[in-house]
Amino acid sequence: MPDDVRRWSAELARDPSSLVFLPLAEALRRQGQSAMAQKVALRGLQRHPHNAEAHDLLARILADLGDLQGAFDEWDMVRRLSPTHSGALKGMAFIRFQQGHLGEAEQLLVQAQPHDEDGTVASAIDTVRQSGALGPGMVMIDPFSQPQHLYADLLSTEQAAMCLDKAGLVLAGAYYGADGQDVAQEIGAALSGVSDEAARATRHLDIGAWRSIVFETEAAVVALMPAPASAASDGGLVVVAAVPNTPLGLLRRVAERCTARTAEWLGRMAG
Amino acid sequence: MSTQFTAVLDALTRQRGVRASMVVDAADGIAIDWNLQFGQDGDRVAALAGSLYRKACQSALAAGLGSTGFMQLEADAGTLCLLGGETLVLVVVAERDANVGLIRMEMRRAAQAFA
Repeated sequence: MPDDVRRWSAELARDPSSLVFLPLAEALRRQGQSAMAQKVALRGLQRHPHNAEAHDLLARILADLGDLQGAFDEWDMVRRLSPTHSGALKGMAFIRFQQGHLGEAEQLLVQAQPHDEDGTVASAIDTVRQSGALGPGMVMIDPFSQPQHLYADLLSTEQAAMCLDKAGLVLAGAYYGADGQDVAQEIGAALSGVSDEAARATRHLDIGAWRSIVFETEAAVVALMPAPASAASDGGLVVVAAVPNTPLGLLRRVAERCTARTAEWLGRMAG
Repeated sequence: MSTQFTAVLDALTRQRGVRASMVVDAADGIAIDWNLQFGQDGDRVAALAGSLYRKACQSALAAGLGSTGFMQLEADAGTLCLLGGETLVLVVVAERDANVGLIRMEMRRAAQAFA
């Protein structure tokens, strides 16, 4: 992949009007270099302002960066250029879902369904309908009824939370990617190893057991806390992520609330 | 012997509750310069802090979250603050009740000075 990035960068330098900016920006996005990917996509769009795929790419980059409204606007542009673009419709639906506008999210998904190539729209519609069982625009579900919704009422639309077991497998919560898919398992597996390293560091530094880890990344701020003790969660983690620039103190408070909710849930399961 | 980092590390260690500050090679966790209180093993702190920061960076990249900036680990009896660049990691070990907001600000200032 680094070879591809170099090759595409060189090609773009030779011919700034080349469409190679599309795979280049996509590769940078996948590597987590969202800011650089955004620059490449914006430069490409200056030369190709009517390219629907370029707007779609920029929308996904903006969603990665937490700019949900910017992403929505870009997908709206894609829809004007290519009215049956299912990726744009799904992206817009995802953002409306995150914002709690379930009726609008469902409408967009229904529009996307005839053009759905990967068969994911039907399950997304089910998710939206289940979430909106009490009325349009409201996500009022019993958080204890479904593990993936355990933290739903504790989080804003720009936050995600999940509980992982010792093996990095998801016990509860969800983490939705820019395309509306729940990627909690992937994110959880990648982050779970940090706690082992933290335990080793605190043990050798003689500063007691670790209580929380907070770190800033390009795409999110992340808080990790040890999961409350129980047979299911022993050695596990509560992970909370939020858009960049979220105050770290606020993030930690949210993580504490999610940890308390986890303890309550585990207690109900045990009892 | 003073290095280009000495003044910055001195300033960090003057913050209330700070027990140690150091500059660590991001690649191998080797200490480059430090300001420690009596009784602390700089090489050990550097190796552990560097390893923790590298793990966080790798995990964040694997999760598609991009590069890592400031990191704070809070433990029962202390706090570890880390701020990394491409080649260096700035490490502060502090008391648990230290003012992390001030330490973070001072670390950012120090990182700018290094850059």
